[in-house]
Amino acid sequence: MSSRSGQAAKAGETVLVVEDEVLLRLSIAAYLRDCGYSVIEAADADEAVLVLKQPDLDIDVLFTEIEKPGAMDGFGLAQWTRANRRGLDVILTGTAPRAVNAAANLCEDGPVPKPYEPQLVHDRIRRLLAARPPRRPAGRPKKP
Amino acid sequence: MLAVEGGTSPRELTVLLVEDEVLTRLMLADELRSQGLQVLEASNADEALTVLHSSLPVHLLFTDIRMPGEMDGVALAKFAHARFPRIKSIIGSSWQPESIGDFADAFLAKPYDLRELAEQVRRLLGESDDEQ
Repeated sequence: MSSRSGQAAKAGETVLVVEDEVLLRLSIAAYLRDCGYSVIEAADADEAVLVLKQPDLDIDVLFTEIEKPGAMDGFGLAQWTRANRRGLDVILTGTAPRAVNAAANLCEDGPVPKPYEPQLVHDRIRRLLAARPPRRPAGRPKKP
Repeated sequence: MLAVEGGTSPRELTVLLVEDEVLTRLMLADELRSQGLQVLEASNADEALTVLHSSLPVHLLFTDIRMPGEMDGVALAKFAHARFPRIKSIIGSSWQPESIGDFADAFLAKPYDLRELAEQVRRLLGESDDEQ
């Protein structure tokens, strides 16, 4: 378990990471796993939607890049998630100032500007999850 | 744990998993992580090439054959075999190519049998560990 952060993740807390830059995705996913989260990786919004459509996959937080290739960007994915997976917290991240400003309307605590420190992402997740009432005892099922 | 069985000291063994179907990739990655392995997930051959050219260590490549994009799993395995001969490789598909002997170490048929996957990975990484 991680010694990187002051507060470790609770068992079963799951983060869906959506990022099209593979090395960045691997890096943040590895960091969050080291913090104790269960992490699901998606390379684009289509993959993320497929994951989010699985009712047996419990997901607590969607962490998604704003600007990415494909029909749906991070804003679209956040809106889809708001409409179809209520109760799931969304953290957006991006570089373009316009996109970052607009993202403030779609996630609770404003976007995480890129490049980001992984610790900042972990802190943001902890803050969001700490504000929640406990809702389930176990994490996601092992197999989809 | 695989990482400890074959060697005299624990070390991290890493699998580069290349699969374009996200739910299949998730299932396979879960299984490999439950075996104590580090897993690097790639959704296509281009991502896999980026990982292979990075400084991240890779001990075993497990790739689906049929994937979108210019390079399929066979081409990826051939590339990895030529450029990184120490990396073991398993290719998976619903159909078996006529011969894999010159570019891959094992074939796994779809739908995947997770027990067979674990056995193949254990065998190949055991061999890899013996060679080092």
